[in-house]
Amino acid sequence: MNTILDIKNVSKSFFRKMAVDNVSLTVQKGEILGIMGPNGAGKTTLIRIINRIVAADSGSVRFDGDIMTDRDLFHIGYLPEERGLYRSMTVEAHALFLARLRGLSKKDAETKIAYWFDRFGINQWRKKRIEELSKGMAQKVQFICTVLHEPKLLILDEPFSGFDPVNVELIKQELIEMKANGKTIMLSTHNMKSVEEICDRAVLINDARKVAEGSVSELRDAQKTGNYTIRFRGNMISFVNALWTGFELVDKRSLGDDRFEVVLAMRGESTFDDLLSVLIGQVKIEAAWESLPSMQDVFIKLVQPVNSSLA
Amino acid sequence: MIALREFKDRIGARSFILFSVLGPILVLGLVYMLFALGGETKQHWKVLIADHGGIFENKIMAGEDASITYYFANGIIELDEFKDGKKYQEFDAMLEVNEKVLTNKTGFLFYRIKPSTRMQTRIQYQYERRLEEVLVERFTDMSLQKFRSIKQPIGVTFSDVNDPEGKANDMTGWAGFFFGALIFLFIFLFGMTILRSVSREKSNRIVEVLLASVRPNQLMLGKIIGIGLAAFLQFVIWIAIIGLGLYLMREHLFPDLLDAANMNVKQLILDANDTSYQEKYFAAREYNEFVNLVYERVQFANTLGFFLLFFVAGYFFYGAIFAAIGATMGSESDGQQFVIPIVILLCLSLYAGYFTMNYPDSSMATFLHYLPFTSPVVVMVKLYQGYEPGHAYEIYMSLITLILSAFGVMAIASRLYRNGILQFGHRVRLKHIFKWMKRT
Repeated sequence: MNTILDIKNVSKSFFRKMAVDNVSLTVQKGEILGIMGPNGAGKTTLIRIINRIVAADSGSVRFDGDIMTDRDLFHIGYLPEERGLYRSMTVEAHALFLARLRGLSKKDAETKIAYWFDRFGINQWRKKRIEELSKGMAQKVQFICTVLHEPKLLILDEPFSGFDPVNVELIKQELIEMKANGKTIMLSTHNMKSVEEICDRAVLINDARKVAEGSVSELRDAQKTGNYTIRFRGNMISFVNALWTGFELVDKRSLGDDRFEVVLAMRGESTFDDLLSVLIGQVKIEAAWESLPSMQDVFIKLVQPVNSSLA
Repeated sequence: MIALREFKDRIGARSFILFSVLGPILVLGLVYMLFALGGETKQHWKVLIADHGGIFENKIMAGEDASITYYFANGIIELDEFKDGKKYQEFDAMLEVNEKVLTNKTGFLFYRIKPSTRMQTRIQYQYERRLEEVLVERFTDMSLQKFRSIKQPIGVTFSDVNDPEGKANDMTGWAGFFFGALIFLFIFLFGMTILRSVSREKSNRIVEVLLASVRPNQLMLGKIIGIGLAAFLQFVIWIAIIGLGLYLMREHLFPDLLDAANMNVKQLILDANDTSYQEKYFAAREYNEFVNLVYERVQFANTLGFFLLFFVAGYFFYGAIFAAIGATMGSESDGQQFVIPIVILLCLSLYAGYFTMNYPDSSMATFLHYLPFTSPVVVMVKLYQGYEPGHAYEIYMSLITLILSAFGVMAIASRLYRNGILQFGHRVRLKHIFKWMKRT
């Protein structure tokens, strides 16, 4: 069994407004799954349903093959979007409290705290009160509290929002390393760049419904336009003349020193091979590749129709 | 875990330590003041009898009264003269005796500081007795002894048929009221702590992290229990300090005043042959009543069990309401508004206690006795006033009603808590609250 989380036909409404509408998805062991969607799409509600914070009106959630129970929460680490800490507690006491809530014994919790505090370099802050910490430091503490009990599944709601760039990088590296150690990670984010960088698969939710699911490359492939990008050295006029009628110039960018990067669309029956054959000899081709939309483009493209129809 | 954290958080707070120590000291100070004021009535009075007609023949009573010394002046003393004259400053009061008293039976006493009721009773009594002697001598052939044998001072004691010894009276009712009020003081203070704690968790968003590990009703219950334990600890500290303080006061500060039993024995011996014994006994009891109440009459041990049971049940009942308010409101200021109805309820409870003291057997008092909002204080008052024989079951019925109501309120509160706790910054609408109540 490779599926750690299996969500089937889950729906939830608040005061007649559908927050999650018949959503099904699976999370495979050892992968990083990104949940994307505009604000108010229903991502947080879905995550709260998985964490059993709110109950679904219908549908089922299975964890590791079985219908999920409260006990399974011990195997989940959850970092909510709206995260807070008890300001008057010390860093150590706070971490210990949350670790114990997640089912760790006091001794285990202390060992894990020592390890993670060391790893994140916040050992000297152990006895400080949370209110004395800088925001970045508090964010580190929040992340540590989420992973302390070494959960099988880590659910992060907007993990990069509010974090400074240094911490974002730190968290990304941690997530990649945790994945390498066999952990499964599910994260919701607006940061499309990080989806491209670290996610294996992504699910797009819009207006309470799932609108796309697949590996990052599948999603990008599905939205590709068939354009190609060529980077070359030479004369721009001779390049355009060589194109003739089989290709259309979509975009061009000068890189300086007679170097250019252009995006081309194929016309009629023309292929990538045809393109290369007409260019060779006219300009010096440095690189050529099929243009794939970024996850940002995919996101905008999939979300826009619904939003514009609403407008 | 939740309860333990709340408990540690509470007892670690500076305000907790401050209130634990200052609260009982304040109460002790108050008791000390009441004792000290009571003690003032023991002071020695010098009374000048202005008897220009020589009616009393410079004597007033056969024995000595330890608290009053009489002096006689046979000239006419004007009021202003007594008020400002240097030689009269040593006297606390002037008692005027003139011929008219023989007919109109009215004497006049001018004091500088108002005498206590007891002192008034004594002076009046002694004046009356001396006047009797004069009247008997002047207008009858009867011997004084004969007259005295006919005239007997009658004291009418008003006693409850069910409580002939008068163990329960208004004063003990006040003791019950005090304990009821104490319950409500703690419920309110720690109820507000629950509300603040819930709203703080909401506003700093830690609640979502917690809810991923514990159920909302566990979180709510843990919070109520943790804060309740802190309240209980504080209460024990209060009792210990007040108990110790009362003991020390009895032993060291007012040994003669406070030892009510001792005093009564002395009086018994002294006054055994005195016909005024009965009067004196009552007078002595009058000022001694508060002291007596605190040390002798309040049955701390017998009522402690019920006190604790009603304390705990009442705390859970109100605590759940406070938690639900904390969870349903959108912001901390919203909660402040919701506190007003609760404060009114608490005031109503205190009034219910006062009402019960005055009309213990009214049907309204019976209703308030069972109403969970008011029962802790009303039961305390009734407990100290005393239940009628065979009606002790009423206290258990009231307790069971309160416990069941507490469970009911907890069930509703946990629904409100579960549905409201993750709603931030909204405006509270009644329609939402009703929906949350219905939703399981």
